[in-house]
Amino acid sequence: MIRCNNCQYENPPGSIFCSECGAQVISADLTTQNIRTDQVRTAASAEAPDARTPPVYLAADAWGSIHLMDSGQILPLDKRSEYTIGRVSEGQPVMPDIDLTPYNAYANGVSRLHASIRRDGKRIVIMDLGSANGSFVNGKRLTSNSERLLGHGDVVALGKLKFQVLIR
Amino acid sequence: MNKTTDYYALLGIFRDAPPEEIRRAYLKAVQRLHPDRNVALGETEMFLEVQQAYEVLANPQRRAQYDLNLPREEAHDSPVSMEILYSRSNLVRMGEAQALYVLVDIASNARTGQLAAAPPLNICLALDRSTSMKEKKMDLLKAAAIQFLRRMRPEDLFSVVTFSDKPEVVIPATYQADRQKLEAPIRNIVPSGATEIYKGLKAAYDEVQRGRADGRVNHIILITDGHTYGDENACLELAAQAAEQGVGISAMGIGAEWNDSFLDQLATRTGHTSRYIARPQDIQRFLDDKFNALAHVVADETVLQYTLAEGVRLRYAFRLQPETGPLGVEGLLALGPILRDTRLSMVFELLVDPSALNGERLTLLDGKIEVSMKARTVSAPPLRVRLERPVRADAGQDAPPLPIMQALSRLTLYRMQERARAEAQSGEYEKATRSLKFLASHLSAAGEESLARTVLFEAEHLNREQTFSQEGEKKIKYATRALI
Repeated sequence: MIRCNNCQYENPPGSIFCSECGAQVISADLTTQNIRTDQVRTAASAEAPDARTPPVYLAADAWGSIHLMDSGQILPLDKRSEYTIGRVSEGQPVMPDIDLTPYNAYANGVSRLHASIRRDGKRIVIMDLGSANGSFVNGKRLTSNSERLLGHGDVVALGKLKFQVLIR
Repeated sequence: MNKTTDYYALLGIFRDAPPEEIRRAYLKAVQRLHPDRNVALGETEMFLEVQQAYEVLANPQRRAQYDLNLPREEAHDSPVSMEILYSRSNLVRMGEAQALYVLVDIASNARTGQLAAAPPLNICLALDRSTSMKEKKMDLLKAAAIQFLRRMRPEDLFSVVTFSDKPEVVIPATYQADRQKLEAPIRNIVPSGATEIYKGLKAAYDEVQRGRADGRVNHIILITDGHTYGDENACLELAAQAAEQGVGISAMGIGAEWNDSFLDQLATRTGHTSRYIARPQDIQRFLDDKFNALAHVVADETVLQYTLAEGVRLRYAFRLQPETGPLGVEGLLALGPILRDTRLSMVFELLVDPSALNGERLTLLDGKIEVSMKARTVSAPPLRVRLERPVRADAGQDAPPLPIMQALSRLTLYRMQERARAEAQSGEYEKATRSLKFLASHLSAAGEESLARTVLFEAEHLNREQTFSQEGEKKIKYATRALI
C-alpha cells in the first residue's frame, strides 16, 4: 500500500496519484521544473545593482515595458492597463496576456498564470498569482495575491526567468 | 504468384491466424467486393485477388508453401504505428493488488499520395427543434447548420433531420447539387414540441444508412438542449448497432438542461464523445471543429478487442486525444477514428492481483485493433496490442515516464470530478463536497483560478442543496476534460 501524505488514503502500489484526494503519491518531476528558490534569490540580488541602468527604450504610446534579460527582447506594455504574464500550454483555457513560452518559460519554472502587472494611475504594481516557483522583485519573494509597487529598473524574476521593468 | 501481394494483409489478418479466422475474413471481404455489389473502380480485380488469397491460405499445404516465400513483415507496411509506454518497468511480486498505467499511442503512417484525398463524408445533422430551442438559440443553430452545409464538398453526402416529439427529414441524404435550394428548408425549421431523442436519432441513422459506404466517413451529429425521457435504452441500443455498422455518433448539448452522462454514454459506444456548448454562439465553432476532424479521418471506428489475463482488471480507459473522453470498459473498446496528423492516445489503468503473478512475465492484455482505412478498399492487417511486463521481486527505482505523469496529473483532476458526482449521486454529500474541495485546491495550484472558484462555488451549492447545479456539473466536467 502507498499511503497518501495528504489525506492518509491507502492506494494500491504502483499508483501515481491518490485516488481519494488527487495528490501525487510518488516523487517525480512534473509540469514546471522545481528550482531552488534560495539560489534564485541570491542571484537576483547580486545582479540587481549593476542592472540599475536600464536600456532607454520605450514605445511611443507605452506606459512601460518589460526587458527580458536573457534574450534582450523588449515587450511593450501599452494598450491594456493590466497584463497577466505566464506561458501558454496546450489545452489550457486560460491565456496569459503576455506569453513567455518563446523565452524558455517552461525550463525556467514559469507557471501558466504566473503574475500580473497593473497600472493604477501613476503607480505600477505587480502581483504574484499563486505561482508554483514564486515571483521576486530585486531578489525579494512576493507574497501571493498581494500587490507590490514597482519602480523603474526593478528586476523581476518569475521562477528563474528574469526581466527588468521599464516605466515611463 | 505476384511477389508483392501479401495475402494476409489483403484479408486483414495476422500471419498466424487460425483457419476459422481466415474463413471469416474471406467471407467479410467477398461480401463487400462481390461484382454484384461493389461500387469503386478496381474492386472486381480485388475480389479476384481475395479469391486467390483464400484458395492458397485455406489449404494448409499451399499455405505453408506460400509462407516460405513470403517476405518478412515490414513495419512501414502497416498503415498505422503504435507506441506503448508503461508506468513501471516491471511488476512486483507481492501479496496485494498493484496498479499499472499504460499509455498507448497510435499514429497513422500517412505517406503522401496514398492518402492525398480526404475521404468523402456522409453526415447527418440531427437537430433538436423542441420548444425550448426557440428564438435566438434556434436562429444560431440554423445559421451554424447552413455554414456547415456550405463547407461540404461535392463528393460529400449531407442530410438534416429535426426532432421534437416527432422526427422530420428536412434534407434527405443528397450531394450538394444546389446549395441554395438546400438552405431554404433549414431556414424554415420552426421549434415546437418536446424532446424525444430516439426518434431523431433513428431518423438520422436511416438517412446515414442510405448513403453508407465503407470508403466514407459515416457520422451523425446530434445537437440538443433537453432531456429525453424513457427512450434512453433504445438510444443506446441504436448506438451499439451504429457502431457495428461503422456509423459514428457525436453529441453536443447546448446550455445546462441536458443529460450529459447519457449523451456521453451514447457517443462513447461509437468511439466519440459529447461536447458542452455553454453559449449558443459557440455552436458554429464546435461544428467547425467537428468538420475539421472528420475531414482528417484516415481510419474510422477503430475497435480494440481484447482479453485480460486472469487476475487483471481494466479499471479505467481514457482517450487523451484527438477527442478527449472516457472509453467504455466492456470487452470491446470503441476507440474512435484515427486522424491524419493527430495521434490517438489512450491511458489504461490496470489492477493486477497477486494471483496473476506466477510466471516470469505476464501478458496483462492481449488484443487487436482492426483498422479499416478509408483510402483503401480492403482492410489493413490488424494491429496487435499486447501489454506485457516482466515480474520481479522488487520494484525498479525509475520514475514513470514523463508523458504518463503529465497525462495522469490532468486526468486525475477529471476523475476527481467524476468521483464527486458519483458520491453525490449515491447520497454521500459530505464526501462529494470534500472531493470538490480537493479538486479546487489542485486546480488553483495548477493556475486554473477561475475554474477553481467555480468548483468551490459548486461545493457550496452541493452542501446547501444536496445536489449539483445543472450548469455547474457540466461546466466542471467539460472544463476539467479540456485541461487534458
